[in-house]
Formats: sequence, C-alpha cells, structure tokens
Amino acid sequence: MSETSVVTPDSGTMDVGHHDHHELPWYRKYLFSTDHKVIAKQFMIAALFFMFVGGAFALFIRWQLAYPGKPIPVIGSILPASWVTEPMSGVITPEFFTQLLTMHGSVMIFLVIIPLAAGMFGNFCIPLMIGTDDMALPRLNMWSFWLVPPAGLIMMAGFYTETGYAAAGWTSYPPLSALTGLPVFTISGQTLWLIALFMIGFSSIMGAVNYVTTIMNKRAKGMKLFDMPLTVWALFITAIIITLGTPVLAAALTMLFMDNFLHTSFFLPDSLVTSSHYAGGGQPVLWQHIFWFYSHPAVYIMILPLMGVVSDVLATFSRKPIYGYKAMVFALSGIAFLGFIVWGHHMFQSGMNPLLGTTFVLSTIVIAVPSSIKVFNWLGTLWRGDIRFTSAMLSGLAFVSMFIIGGLSGVFMASAAVDIFIHDTYFIVAHIHYVLFGGSLFGIFAGIYYWFPKMYGRMLNETWGRRHLFWTFIAFNCTFFPMHVLGLAGHMRRIYDPNVYDFLKGLSGLNEFITISAIVLGFAQLILVANIFHSLIWGKKAGRNPWNANTLEWAAPEHPGHGNFDTDITVYRGPYEFCVEGRELDYWPQWEPGESISVHHHTIAVSKEESENKVFGAH
Amino acid sequence: MGDIFKVFNMMAWFPENVSTFGAELDNLFGVIYYLSVVIFFLTFGIMGYFLIKYRHKEGRKGYNYHGNNIVELTWTILPTILFAGLGLYTDSAWAETKYSHKVPVADVEILVLGKQFGWYAMYPGADGKFGRNAYTDRSARHLMSTTNPFGIDSTDEAGMDDFVTENQFKIPVNSNVVVRGSSIDVLHSFFLPHMRVKQDVIPGLWMKIWFNAFKTGNYELACAELCGGGHYSMRAEYEILSKSGYDKWLDQKNSDVKQLRMMSAGTTEPAPIVEESHPASH
Ligand code: HEM
Ligand SMILES: [Cu+2]
Ligand SMILES: [Cu+2]
Repeated sequence: MSETSVVTPDSGTMDVGHHDHHELPWYRKYLFSTDHKVIAKQFMIAALFFMFVGGAFALFIRWQLAYPGKPIPVIGSILPASWVTEPMSGVITPEFFTQLLTMHGSVMIFLVIIPLAAGMFGNFCIPLMIGTDDMALPRLNMWSFWLVPPAGLIMMAGFYTETGYAAAGWTSYPPLSALTGLPVFTISGQTLWLIALFMIGFSSIMGAVNYVTTIMNKRAKGMKLFDMPLTVWALFITAIIITLGTPVLAAALTMLFMDNFLHTSFFLPDSLVTSSHYAGGGQPVLWQHIFWFYSHPAVYIMILPLMGVVSDVLATFSRKPIYGYKAMVFALSGIAFLGFIVWGHHMFQSGMNPLLGTTFVLSTIVIAVPSSIKVFNWLGTLWRGDIRFTSAMLSGLAFVSMFIIGGLSGVFMASAAVDIFIHDTYFIVAHIHYVLFGGSLFGIFAGIYYWFPKMYGRMLNETWGRRHLFWTFIAFNCTFFPMHVLGLAGHMRRIYDPNVYDFLKGLSGLNEFITISAIVLGFAQLILVANIFHSLIWGKKAGRNPWNANTLEWAAPEHPGHGNFDTDITVYRGPYEFCVEGRELDYWPQWEPGESISVHHHTIAVSKEESENKVFGAH
Repeated sequence: MGDIFKVFNMMAWFPENVSTFGAELDNLFGVIYYLSVVIFFLTFGIMGYFLIKYRHKEGRKGYNYHGNNIVELTWTILPTILFAGLGLYTDSAWAETKYSHKVPVADVEILVLGKQFGWYAMYPGADGKFGRNAYTDRSARHLMSTTNPFGIDSTDEAGMDDFVTENQFKIPVNSNVVVRGSSIDVLHSFFLPHMRVKQDVIPGLWMKIWFNAFKTGNYELACAELCGGGHYSMRAEYEILSKSGYDKWLDQKNSDVKQLRMMSAGTTEPAPIVEESHPASH
C-alpha cells in the first residue's frame, strides 16, 4: 500500500494509503461513492429512515385493532380523504387497512431488515474483517445501494395510483394481487410494488456477487477460510443464498407483473367469475411455491448475518473463544441448505397435496436442529466467560433469548397438524416478530452498538444505549408475546375489525394492551436515533480498538478512510483467541505476530523456539 | 396479577372444541407447548445462571476453550431425535384430518364457495345427489356467473332440487360432513375455529374438507386468507342440529325449493338461494 496521503472521503482526521491522487468531487465522496464504508452508512441511513415509515404504518394498524372505529388521535383529521371512511373522520377504511399491512410488511422486510442485514453489515464488515481495502467490484457495489432508494420511492408512489398502495399482503398471493380491476396497461399500487421488489432483488444480487467474489479473492495474507470471523462466514453463506434464491423471486415477480399489468394468466385459473376476460388456465398456488422457494431462504437472508454478528459480539464481551467455531460454520451452512427444501411449510393449508405436507414437516423440523446447535454454542460461549454488559452485548443476549422463543414457536407451526388451527392467525404474526424483531433487529442493534466506533470514530453513549435496549426489550415482549395468545383464540391475521366475530369478543383488552406497548416500542427507537446524532458530535473518541477485540477491522485507524488500513495486514491466527494462556493481555489480535500451540482445545502462547521444538507435544 | 398468568396458560385460550378430531389436535399443541416450556426454562435458566456467575469481576479471566466435538455431537443428535420424533408423532393426526384417502364416507355432502366477501353453500336436495354443475362436471365451469356461482346446469333434472344458502349453513351432529370448497374469485380460507378446520379454497379447484361435530349449537365460519378490503367481514354462521332437527330443516328446504321451482317453471333459473343472512353487516 502506498503511503500517499489524501483527504479521505468522510473523515479528514486519518490519513491512509490511497492510490487516487486527485481529490474526488463531493458527490463522489458522499453520494455516488464506491467506498464500501460510505455505502454501508448509506444503507444504514436509508434503512433507518424506512424503519420509521414502516413503524408508522404499524401504529396505524395497531390503533385500528385496539380501537376499531375510533378516530386516530392527533393526525386523524389531516389524513388524505382516500384513507378514511368520511372526510376528516380520522377512521381508516378497510381498504386502506389492507394497504397498511401490506406496506408495513414489505417495507420492514425489503427496505429495512434486508438492507441492514445484508447491505449494511455486508458492506461494512467484509472488507474490513478480511483485511482488504475495498470490495472486489466497487462500482457494482455502489449500484447495489443506488437501486434501493428509488425502489422505496416507487413502492411509496403506490399512493398516487387509482387503487392506492399494494394491498395483497407482503406475500402478494394471486389472484388478489393479479386482479386489479383496472384496464390492461394500467399501473396500480401492486404493479409498482412488483417493480420495486424486482429492483431490490437486483440490488441484493449485485451485492451478493460482490461479497462472494471479495471473500474468495481478497482475504489478507495468511487468512484461511477458517480464520474468518463468523460475521464474514455468515455473510458469505447469506450471499450464496441470495445468488441462488433471488433470481427465482425475479422470475415469480415477472410472471405476476405480466398477470397484473398485461393481463396474462400465469396464476389465474379459468373460472374467475368476476374477472372473466382473463384467458385463464393458470394456477394460483404456483405463485406460492415459487414465492416461498425464495422467501423461506429469504428469512435466513434476514437472520444469518445477524447470527454472525452476535457470535462476534458474544465472543468479544465474554472474553472467550466462540464455543464450537467450526460447528457454527457447519450449522450456518446446514441452515442455508435446508432452507431451500422447507418452503412448503408456509403452504400446509394452501391446498397443496397433504402428502407433501408430511415431507415438509420433516424437513422443517430438521432445520430446527442447526438452529438449536447455534443456541447451545452461544450458551457455551458464555460459560466460564468474563462477561461485560455493554450495549452491544445486551443486544446480543436479547437476540439469543428472543430467537429461542421464535424458534420454539416455529416448532408448533412446523407440525402440519398443529398448524391447521394457528395458520394465518396472530400466532404467525408473533413468530415473525420474535425472529425478525427480537432476532434480526436486536442483532442489528448489536452490530450498530459494536461497530459504530469504527464507522464514525466515536463511541455511542452507553447509558442511553442501555435505556434504549431496556425499553425496547420490555415493550417488545409486551407487544408480541400476547399475540401468541390472540392466535390461540383464533384471531385471524390481517383482519380490520375483530369485533365482527363473536368468538373474538373477549380479546379487545389484550388488543388494547398490545397497541399501547407498540406505541412505547415505537417511541423507544427515538432514543437510538438521538444517541446516534448526539454521539456523532459529542461522542467519546473511539481509538483503534475500543473493545479490545481480535478481528481485523480493529487494526484499521480510528476512522478509516478510503483504502481502510494504514499498515500491511498479515493474519496469524483465528479470530477468537481471548484469554490465551501465557499472555498478559486477555486478547490476541489476528494481525499480531506470535506463536501458539493447541492442546486439548486450549490455545497456549509459546515462544518461537518452544514451538519449533514442540516441547508441549502439540497435536 | 391473575390475568398476567392467564396469558401464559396457553391452552385455556382455545375456543370451545366441537370437533371429533379437535381434542387430538389441541393435545398435540399441548405436547409441544409443555415441551417448549421445559426448553424455555432450561435455556433461559442456563443463560441467566451463566450471566450472573460469569459476569465481569476484578481478576476474573475468560476460559480459553474452543469446544468439544463430543459435546457438539450430543447436542446435534438429541434435538434431531426429539424434533424428528415430534414431527412423526404429530403426523398421524395430520394424515387423519387432511389426507384425501382418509376422508370418511360422507353422511352429508356440501359444496362451499367463497366470494368477495361471503360464502355460499349448496346442498344436493331431496335426491341426495348434485346435478350437473361446476363441481360434478368440469366442463360446466363456463356456466359459473355471479348469479349462478356453482355453474348449475339448469337442464339437468338431478339438479332441480339442489339449493343454495348464503352466509350460513346447517349440519347434523355426529355425522361425517364432507365439504368441497372452492372460490369464484380470489383465495379464501375456510376456517371453522370451533371445529379446528382450516383449508384455503382456490378458484378452479375443489378442496376436500371433512369434519364431524359431537355437539349441537351455533358457531362461526371465518375467512382466514386475505382476500381484499372486506376480508374481515367474510363471516358466516353455521348451526349444528340434532339429526332429527336437521332432517326437518332439510324437508322444509326441499319443499321450499319445489315451490320456488313450480313458480318459475319453464324458466332456466339456477338453484334458488333459499336462505341467506348477512351476519357480518351489523
Ligand atoms: C426453528 C426455526 C424455524 C421454524 C421451525 C420455522 C417455521 C415456520 C413455519 C412452519 C412457518 C409457517 C407458518 C404458517 O404460515 O402457518 C413460519 C412462518 C414464518 N417464519 Fe419461521 N421458522 C423458523 C425460524 C424462522 C426465522 C429464523 C425467521 C426469520 C428470521 C422466520 C421467519 C418467518 C416468517 C417471516 C414467517 C411468516 C411468513 C408469512 O407472513 O406468512 N422463521 N415459520
Ligand atoms: Cu419458512
Ligand atoms: Cu378473506
């Protein structure tokens, strides 16, 4: 690496090796940057913005369920006329309600969790943690971000169509999603949703190709695959899932787009009484097969990266090697592989041959095994540790514990017989949120608290971090745990007004409780935003390695610029050598030279001569 | 306080069960639930214990240990056996309720159609046989229309006594009811919470659904698959009658149909809707 120093894109404080000699114009530094760290921050900012949009949608939904027919407070009277039952009434219509739940799910999954899990962590962590200057294909990387904001805007533009936003749920089952009631060649909210998703899928694929290429080709000197931190492993495996799965989604979206916009009949049978001008001959269930063939792996796209992040956080703050590092890698791979053969568990009651149901029960149940292996290894990592309760650690622990609950509720639904009653009830909604909010989002918080110092050179405030996590954890459980109960009582998901049904009459108290908790949960996130802004300006300077961690990103300067490292990086050992016998410090960075031997799963530091003479009889 | 614990007593929240196979399904839920409670307390207990015992203190040092293959193998094999066993254990209930070759001989056969936003049910009438319609003959599907949702061929004698009810239906107690469900527009899901029955219905296909109620009473049918803005209002009622009550009702309907047919003799009206209600619109 050359020692030429330039003003770096976004810091100016640290000079690092750089090959470009001319200064870049501002829009190349901040907007159309090819620097993986800038792109990661762009993903973070865009996704956090969409998180508040999606959260607002959710609060509308919750208000309606707790107080059906009551006007929405404060902003009720200024809602657009097409959203409310009567002008100024402040009561949303059933049609708008279905738009809300569709947009909430779509925004949270495709514009928040996937961009954060794969986009932000993939971009930020991979080059830094494998000790290289940038992605293998920086320009592709830039485009993978720049497809996302327009996709978000296109999805939001559904508001301006005749039918409003897409309204068939985030799963968009045809015929509902195909039949718009509009003439051919007319854009509906659903059409825009399909286009937006196509773009997001494209963005994912571009990112994933880049991750795989980078990890295969650009690891620092000495870094074997099994020297990579679990975050990188998880992102690597996620990228493989994306490259295999997302093209399938693209195919499905294309067909649905044609049905929706050009009035073809891929998914439309020939006895649609109310839409008889379609040729027919298609099969609605086909969509579900193709969609879930992508979307079940997609739920792992949303959680595998965070499993990696949490593993790193847990190891660092337990001051211990991760328990069963290779088992963790095999479990990740197992989940990725099995993830492609379980999609039918979303379709037990869909009319698919029930014999297939039995097969999918078995594959699904088996996927709980690698998940439990991971949990046990996380617990093993805590065992005999020296545990520091930082905000990052607390988020990581929240991840593990909430993932246990989400995994257990998965086992109920994985049994087709038990699923008969709870399918399409609030039990499913509870499960989704335990794995995606309790799991993925807490994992994302862990990652943000952990890497913020490397992203911006300043520490986040720990006290406010703890407050944020405390309120989020309490409000999260108060919001989503009772949803299991709603589901057991038979409360269908996606219904506008439960009071229509006699058998749901007793649940209004619970619905109210959930809504109040959800409001607290929403507002608790403002603490995080305030903390981020406050720390950006007044945060404590981070230094190079504030957590005394081992992985390569901490070898980079406090606030690394374009090109990342100011020293040559060579990797001497695995990422989790904490508390090694024979060392003063309780950590041993991967980039620090030194000899060691392994005796019965313990690592012992030795001098050069000792290691050459094998005095310990190492094996 | 009691209310709080009620939230954790999951089994108490199920709606009343009136189905012969309902208790078995509920029990399977219970098995997994109690197993989950054990796993929950075990894992959370271990985690809590470690967090307290191994929290950072002056002089404490982490234990450099990379794991042990025998331990890994143990906690791979044990869950595999446990979970696979669970899957196989619950499979017979699944087969019994859903496999089409296990559907018992029908005592009562009904056709059900979902629509945006309501339900039709059709009975075979006095002769106990459906005439030519979209279910009995695929080629009659082109007859389906909003006024003739079942695609009844009004030239077929056997169908002259078939009759349709809207947003409600009646069944006899202690009888095997076999429902053929479909839809005229989008996906719906035929959900009888008290009967522990749920089956999506798909336009263009007829799903086989069966159940057997052991108790009389009035219950609700809901749609469980998002089908548009009015999805929430896709409510219908059904009544489980004693066998004699059911026969009386059938006789009543049959004579109603005859009368209606007589009045409209010569015209090609589809099966008359003899009973309807709009319980959702209150
Ligand atoms: C132990 C592991 C898991 C098992 C056995 C499991 C099982 C299931 C099953 C059977 C369903 C379908 C339920 C139904 O619709 O009736 C389901 C739904 C779902 N799962 Fe999981 N799951 C597991 C973990 C996860 C994870 C880790 C995620 C995401 C990070 C996830 C996300 C979802 C989502 C989003 C749905 C709902 C999709 C919808 O909207 O219908 N699951 N899960
Ligand atoms: Cu799935
Ligand atoms: Cu519906």
